[in-house]
Amino acid sequence: MTTSGTKLTSEVKAVIGKTSEFSEAGWGVANKERNRRFTQAIMDPDPRYWDEDFAKTTRYREVIVPHLAGGGSGRAPWMTDDPVSWTFKENPVADGVRDAPVGRRRGGLPPVPTDLVRLLNAGNEIEMYKHPIMGDRMYSQSKYANIIERVGRDGSHMLIITTETYHWNQRGELCYINRGSSFRR
Amino acid sequence: MTTRTADELRNKQQMYYDDVSEGQMLPTYVLGPMTPTHVFRWSAAIENWHRIHYDQDFSIYHEGLPNILVNGSWKQSIMPGYLKDLCLPDGWMWKVSFQHRAMIVPGDTITCWAKVTNKYVKDGMGFVELETGMKTQDDIETCPGQGVIVLPLKGGRSIPYPFVPPQG
Repeated sequence: MTTSGTKLTSEVKAVIGKTSEFSEAGWGVANKERNRRFTQAIMDPDPRYWDEDFAKTTRYREVIVPHLAGGGSGRAPWMTDDPVSWTFKENPVADGVRDAPVGRRRGGLPPVPTDLVRLLNAGNEIEMYKHPIMGDRMYSQSKYANIIERVGRDGSHMLIITTETYHWNQRGELCYINRGSSFRR
Repeated sequence: MTTRTADELRNKQQMYYDDVSEGQMLPTYVLGPMTPTHVFRWSAAIENWHRIHYDQDFSIYHEGLPNILVNGSWKQSIMPGYLKDLCLPDGWMWKVSFQHRAMIVPGDTITCWAKVTNKYVKDGMGFVELETGMKTQDDIETCPGQGVIVLPLKGGRSIPYPFVPPQG
């Protein structure tokens, strides 16, 4: 589909710099089972993630959690309806994420007012400072750092939305910063 | 298939700042071939319901994509993990950035690579700047980027944890 005219409207520009509330991230408490599922899915057999005896001999002194184990989560919050059914209630051919509870939440940021509906990951810039550990709860705050427009070879306009999110543990220690960009096309 | 085992990571010898030089290619990782099951496992682990990662009809006919896609969020964890392993046991993967330039689909085998572009010492720590990427079996670069890892110097101070970058 070809769209014409700029998509970087004044309404879109107005959300640049908007900041979310400081809030608990969606992953809940870090635990062994979640660590197992996550590290197997990234094909990382590092014993620092699961072997308590070995972890005590490392610089971390305890089992650690991959930085991004929580931040990339799409877990839905507790809600009165089933979140998957709710996602498709208004639109049976929804993409499964944009209208999902977590998609609407977007880390507490307001939605970008655009009619571009297709979503793709564009890239990331990540800074690491400390690993989460078992029992940690993660907290985050996000900001629309930038939104720019690109025009494709076919003349279609798309937006590249960059969201900057700081992630802390419950002790207030900065664990990592993730500047993620996504295409809306 | 993955080119690392738990025992290799448990027993990994430290790569020191002194061991690397500008232009040097660091050891690679090979992952794959990727299957729909790998993609599904990732989506399930993080509860990502985006249908382009598990619903082939939706991905091809509704979204106009070539197949279901390996998740960008998966690659987002793979590249830091690769650099983390290069730094083990006592270095630190500080920064990584990358763009998702090409799609990875089931059947692809991925090679993570890193090349030293610059190195310098600050506050007694060895900073190594890298050009990084994630190529397919057809030599298509899907995820070009950069990184900065921090390595100890032989006989030098340890890298602080939590990591504290030098000021200025």
